[in-house]
Amino acid sequence: MTLIDFTNLLVSALLLAGIYAVMSVGMTVIYGVMKIVNLAHAGFMMLGAYFALELFQRFRIDPIIAALLAFPVLFFLGAAVHWVLLRRLPRSDEPTLPSLLLMFGLWLVLQNLGYLIWGNTDRSIFTPRTLSVVSTVRLAVFIAAVGCLLLLEVILHYTWFGRSVRALIQNRYAALLTGVYEDRTAGIAFGLGIGFAGLAGGLLGSLYSFDPDFGRPFLIRAFVIIVLGGLESISGVAIGALVLALVETFSILFVPAGYQLAISFGLLALALIVLPGGLASLLAKVRRVA
Amino acid sequence: MNQTGGTLLRVQNLEVSYGAVQVLWGVSLSVVRGQVAAIIGSNGAGKSTTLNAISGVLKATSGRIVFKNEDLASLPPRERVRRHISLVPEGRQLWPKMTVEENLMMGAFPPKMRKNVKANIARVYEMFPRLKERRSQLAGTLSGGEQQMCAIGRGLMPQPELLMLDEPTLGLAPKMVDEIFQFVRDISNQGVTILLVAQNVNYALQFSHYAYLMETGKITLEGPGESLLSNQYVQEAYLGSS
Repeated sequence: MTLIDFTNLLVSALLLAGIYAVMSVGMTVIYGVMKIVNLAHAGFMMLGAYFALELFQRFRIDPIIAALLAFPVLFFLGAAVHWVLLRRLPRSDEPTLPSLLLMFGLWLVLQNLGYLIWGNTDRSIFTPRTLSVVSTVRLAVFIAAVGCLLLLEVILHYTWFGRSVRALIQNRYAALLTGVYEDRTAGIAFGLGIGFAGLAGGLLGSLYSFDPDFGRPFLIRAFVIIVLGGLESISGVAIGALVLALVETFSILFVPAGYQLAISFGLLALALIVLPGGLASLLAKVRRVA
Repeated sequence: MNQTGGTLLRVQNLEVSYGAVQVLWGVSLSVVRGQVAAIIGSNGAGKSTTLNAISGVLKATSGRIVFKNEDLASLPPRERVRRHISLVPEGRQLWPKMTVEENLMMGAFPPKMRKNVKANIARVYEMFPRLKERRSQLAGTLSGGEQQMCAIGRGLMPQPELLMLDEPTLGLAPKMVDEIFQFVRDISNQGVTILLVAQNVNYALQFSHYAYLMETGKITLEGPGESLLSNQYVQEAYLGSS
């Protein structure tokens, strides 16, 4: 492998990591605040992809812009889903069976709505940029992804809403005690999580073709990333995304591309066995030894 | 603000259950404005449950929680914070990955309280200079005593009229225990009404104007602090003298 090959792979891994982080961060926020594993995440990603497609086909809106527009739309959809359904789930500090069943059911409903509206043919968003020599689409996707992640980080650290999110994640009891309005914070947080799913779907839609089952393989990747990153930390997600992207990209050198998903699964199993606390626990261990 | 007299909080026939298990059986107590009241008793007697029910984090199954002639029993915790009731919970319960200053800020979360945040943080720093030194440190990295100061500081942020303290000295070094009790005395001297739960019975009784003994979810004895201190049953069961 020449240095140029290596650099190429490294850059494409980096670009991939951005989008992986966007699709996982929504699940992390939702899990952290509500202790709900959002199995319907893939469904919302699919909606984001079709949303971008419709905007592109009907109004000739650039797919990256369309993906960014999917964010607010999916945000309100998510907030509505929270208001109508999730608010009624029993509260818990751990994931509950009712929440898992509800989210799985929601995914099936979204998927079948997708088949009803758009049919089961493969669709893709095709722009002049898609085939350009330097992959400007990937670069644009990466910039949009990182920009949104930075925005989230700013919101989480410098607004009252952000602090209430972190308070609920770190100690729900104390958050209630100091007057956090849990339903409101959780509703907005769920909206944000779904918004990020929509954004990720829209961005992925301009890279890959999709159908209403879109998102399933990405859901598994999101699980790997979240487990690697630790379940409740946002910066952990970025690191987890980077690790997965690096492993997937460089594995192409040794195994056929068709086995990529197997590699994700392998990494998930490995992480659960060796590093159940995520990469953060590894760092802590290293620090203790040093 | 410093006048004593008049009942600030009256709890009547409070009952609380965790699922099918009832833990409070008709608890009644009252706290006089400007005074220190204490609840003593052994582990699992229901002391913390009582405070959590007053703060609203636990829902009472029946009974009244009357604060300044208003029944709070059906209000969510945030509405009770807005009425200047705050609880410094057992085990501090800080947000470990937030800075000291963020922990304090969050103490006055309800929107209408936020405009006083800066002034209130300044007051807390004046009282605990050590917190000011560590303002941008993560709360999880503080020592036990500093964490307790931070928790008390957070409890002061809503400018409480009623401050509830749940085991504020548990697990602290003896020197720190004295220091924390001195802080509580200072807060009391500023006119804040205090409801204290403590396993350190000796301290708590010397400290309080009025005290309640709680056993298996019921108030079994009450009276001025000194009278409980000299009560033979209390001495034998809780102070270990025969």
